[in-house]
Amino acid sequence: MITAFILRALDRRTSIVLAVILGIGILLPVLNLATDPSSPFHVPTYVLTLLGKYLTYALLALSVDLVWGFCGILSLGHGAFFALGGYGMGMYLMRQIGDRGTYGNPILPDFMVFLNWKELPWFWYGFDHFWFAALIVLLAPGLLAFVFGWFAFRSRVTGVYLSIITQAMTYALLLAFFRNDMGFGGNNGLTDFKDILGFDIQADATRGALFFASAAALALGFWICRAVIASKFGKVLVAVRDAESRTRFIGYRVEGYKLVVWTLSAMMAGVAGALYVPQIGIINPGEFAPANSIEAVIWVAVGGRGTLIGPIVGALLVNFGKTWFTSGMLAEYWLFVLGGLFVLVTLFLPKGVVGSLMTKGSRKPVEKPIEDVVAPGVAAGQAAE
Amino acid sequence: MVDMISRFKTLLATLALVFLAAVPAAHADDLKPLVDGLGKSGYAALKDAVGALAATGDPAVAPILQSLSAGDLYVRKSDRAVFAATKAEGGYKLTDPATGADAGTAASGEIDKIKVNNAVREAVTAARGSLTLMSPDIAKRRAAAAEMFRNGDPAQIPLLDQALAKETDAGIAATLQLARAAAILKSDQPDADKIAAIAVLQAKGGRDVLGQLTAIEASSTDGAVKAAAANALSSIRGTLKLWDGAQNILYGVSLGSVLLLAAIGLAITFGVMGVINMAHGEMVMLGAYTTFVVQELIRNNVPWLFDWSLAIALPLAFLVAGLVGVLIERMVIRFLYGRPLETLLATWGVSLILQQAVRTWFGPNNREVGNPSWMSGAFELGNLTITYNRMWIVVFSLVVFAALMLVLKRTAFGLQTRAVTQNRPMASSMGIRTPWVDALTFGLGSGIAGIAGVALSQIDNVSPNLGQGYIIDSFMVVVFGGVGNLWGTLVGAFTLGIANKFLEPYAGAVLGKILVLVFIILFIQKRPRGLFALKGRAVEA
Amino acid sequence: MTVTNEPTRVAHAKARDSLLYLDGVSVSFDGFKALRGLSLVIEPGEMRAIIGPNGAGKTTMMDVITGKTKPDSGDVYFAGDTDLTRMDEASIASLGIGRKFQKPTVFESHTVWDNIDLALAGVRKPFATLFHRTTKAEIARVEEILETIRLIDKRDWLAANLSHGQKQWLEIGMLLAQEPRLLLVDEPAAGMTDAETAETAILLKEIAKTKSVVVVEHDMTFVRDLGVKVTVLHEGSVLSEGSLDVVSADPKVIEVYLGR
Repeated sequence: MITAFILRALDRRTSIVLAVILGIGILLPVLNLATDPSSPFHVPTYVLTLLGKYLTYALLALSVDLVWGFCGILSLGHGAFFALGGYGMGMYLMRQIGDRGTYGNPILPDFMVFLNWKELPWFWYGFDHFWFAALIVLLAPGLLAFVFGWFAFRSRVTGVYLSIITQAMTYALLLAFFRNDMGFGGNNGLTDFKDILGFDIQADATRGALFFASAAALALGFWICRAVIASKFGKVLVAVRDAESRTRFIGYRVEGYKLVVWTLSAMMAGVAGALYVPQIGIINPGEFAPANSIEAVIWVAVGGRGTLIGPIVGALLVNFGKTWFTSGMLAEYWLFVLGGLFVLVTLFLPKGVVGSLMTKGSRKPVEKPIEDVVAPGVAAGQAAE
Repeated sequence: MVDMISRFKTLLATLALVFLAAVPAAHADDLKPLVDGLGKSGYAALKDAVGALAATGDPAVAPILQSLSAGDLYVRKSDRAVFAATKAEGGYKLTDPATGADAGTAASGEIDKIKVNNAVREAVTAARGSLTLMSPDIAKRRAAAAEMFRNGDPAQIPLLDQALAKETDAGIAATLQLARAAAILKSDQPDADKIAAIAVLQAKGGRDVLGQLTAIEASSTDGAVKAAAANALSSIRGTLKLWDGAQNILYGVSLGSVLLLAAIGLAITFGVMGVINMAHGEMVMLGAYTTFVVQELIRNNVPWLFDWSLAIALPLAFLVAGLVGVLIERMVIRFLYGRPLETLLATWGVSLILQQAVRTWFGPNNREVGNPSWMSGAFELGNLTITYNRMWIVVFSLVVFAALMLVLKRTAFGLQTRAVTQNRPMASSMGIRTPWVDALTFGLGSGIAGIAGVALSQIDNVSPNLGQGYIIDSFMVVVFGGVGNLWGTLVGAFTLGIANKFLEPYAGAVLGKILVLVFIILFIQKRPRGLFALKGRAVEA
Repeated sequence: MTVTNEPTRVAHAKARDSLLYLDGVSVSFDGFKALRGLSLVIEPGEMRAIIGPNGAGKTTMMDVITGKTKPDSGDVYFAGDTDLTRMDEASIASLGIGRKFQKPTVFESHTVWDNIDLALAGVRKPFATLFHRTTKAEIARVEEILETIRLIDKRDWLAANLSHGQKQWLEIGMLLAQEPRLLLVDEPAAGMTDAETAETAILLKEIAKTKSVVVVEHDMTFVRDLGVKVTVLHEGSVLSEGSLDVVSADPKVIEVYLGR
């Protein structure tokens, strides 16, 4: 059933997107490893790592778009799911350090030795196995989203109220993870990683593999989203976004739909975070900052919400811009640009880059399949009515 | 704190000078052998010598002891005479410790410093306490009595009795009684006396008694005394718990007033207009920076006006933040009415721009905003300590709240605002210029945030990030209290403030905050429209 | 649906035979009484028109029946013994109560086809819809409904691009697709041309042959076209009931409509 479900989504357009993402995922590491540094085709490792980071951001943006663009739930707390996934991976990487830490303790990570802890807290058990960490990367964000969503959607918290409490959620986690006695490294977070699955995390080949893994995860995420959106389930989501109470009166239990898509989206964000951490080399409570979550929302808005290509394009565009800006003389002015982006996109480009191009490109928008057309005046807020 | 200590030192030095001038020379001669006694070797001998000096009851002894504990006394090797010495060219300049008279100089090899250890220092402190007990100066006697109470030295009992007999001031006499009780508890007097002493301490109550009683309870071997002490302890602890509760409520009210100030502008823009303004915190920040600029100008030009700086900053902060608010409304928000999620994103962008603008202009670091004299210091109410700045902020928040209520309920502008927010087309057809009302209402909400910034600059760091710390809390207050209801905001702010402070002792500051957030999240599940929600078709439509 | 009711609560014999049974229903919002002791009985297969001035409680009554608003007191039973006051909108819709809003609400960014397809009786659970494959029978049923509401040649249009009247019909089509036993229709003729209004009346009468219908309407011509029993609401309770001619002659109704 599931294979049928996922294969059904594999139309021409989706196949092309998947091929492009996977092609880049293979090509760049090959160019990095197989060419000489002097070759014009050589891709330096730092570029690979940077682009790998962008790909995980794109996956995060995709997960935000799935709930915002298609179901009208504006999450200002997806950074929390991303960070939880990141911590799951970070804990695995910490355990892989073994006795190579500064204090040489074979079991306890450095920060625990520093805090004078004598034994590993129970919630660190199992993280020496990769499969366990991978499971937690999916389950921790998923479970948080499920519990949070179960409460929120059941009592029909919608619109800005929901947005604000998602922000409060990630803020509460930010405060919690800053505490040393939480057992996640406090302020400094988890860092100084050595190995992943036995491979040196700094090695070019490992970097290439991580890049490919990020591309593959993005492709898989895109595919799953495509399958979800193409199904009747996806049509119900859009119905909820456009007219929530109408959907109820037709007999759909809206909270169930929201809960499923919300949890799925959180798990995608968790995977993105898990792939982000080994490439960046650190995870700290700063990832829970509300500002991070809102930044992910603006990637989606820039690219075009309610389309699946949009968030990917938006995440890449904005982050290229950020890297270019903050590495130059204008670094100080980046926040002006980012702030301006928020204002200008909401005022003048409500459909985002991709959404606007699609509307312009197709003369008969009425015949387009739903996911490519942004409804006139798509206002996620309308779903709240 | 440091300031107090240095002030205290100056006081001591002045006192010392007064004494030096008053002491007749002949008198000093009688002291001479005793002073030279300080030169004997060995800490025990030194301690005895201190006791002997103190026993004279001569006020002139006080400065000598002061010099001793300051490490200024030296003994001349040749004749074992004791002098106060200060470093001078080629050696030391000697003075008579009692009279301050010049006694020539000495090379550094000729004299030895008189070293003191803790036991000697304690003896000196006790001795000075006993000396000043007889002082004609009430303030000094009071300080000395308090000092004696803290030390509770059994050896001082006779002295205390003596002082008690002579004491005329009731307050000091009471303290002396306490000191006596404390001393008795440490002595080997009969149990009956000790139990009586415990009763005296229990009657006093308070935190400073706790330590002494705890020590007795722990060390006492006698059942009756131990029981009495335990009894007194539990009674005092009970009272203290009540005071702690009161103190927590006070802290909570203080935090609540800060939350109220931060949220009250939001209650207008979000609560009344339904506009979700993520740049609200930045309006607070602008108000705080306005205060900074005003204070800078006053410091540099008219320093005597400093105590008025906040009063001057208030209207300016209102104008600055209000004007920025009107600009934001005209340039951004008015295009987004009815699209709350877009408004949220756009105003977040505005907040980033404002933060960066302030950072570029004033720099990323904290700026110094001073407290005017009437905002500094504290006073005590029973066992409670209340700082003036906290108190004024509570008062101020209530005044702002009342003023806002008045504006909304009693003025034409308020009427128009309510008309527009309830039924825009109808208000518009009645000739109300709705765009202006929107802009001004938003300006009012922003301006009040600016005023809040003036107050918050007194207790928080003024930095470009100031506003971010308040935005989530403010939203929580408004949502918790019930959107569209100013009274809800008032109750919400103080409830959350007090809840926060009551949780802190058990859960710690950070965990307490998290618990409050979780509580609100759960609360919104139960009552999505807040504490004082409007009910009905209109709201749900 | 697994709603069980203790028999004592359905003491009224009348409730058992009726399709919809409201007794003594009261709702108040912050002191304002929207409904005060409203009682109403709809028989199976009956079509009923409900009229009343603004604020009479018509929409609140619909809200109570469809589970959007919970009554403060009173009984609401469907098909004899199903207590509607304990159910949410989705379960009530699944029982077979369809509702058309005053303002036409269709899913604007879906095609006409998808609008009907979503409303089609059948799968409602999230995972069922996730893996659902459209069957031939469903396609046939959607086509049939599109024929009925005369939108078959606009099947691939986005609902947003339909005219006002077409949206009204699309919404009625969605109601039909739900295969309800009872339809609640709020001002179906609002904003329609006279020709459209007449056609709508014919369409509703057609529907009423197989289902019970409750129509809330202001337009007296339309109500006359329907030619059914009329209930007049006023200030949250029933003022008068009977054929249109009977209620128009009722002095109480005349007073309410013409002022005192």
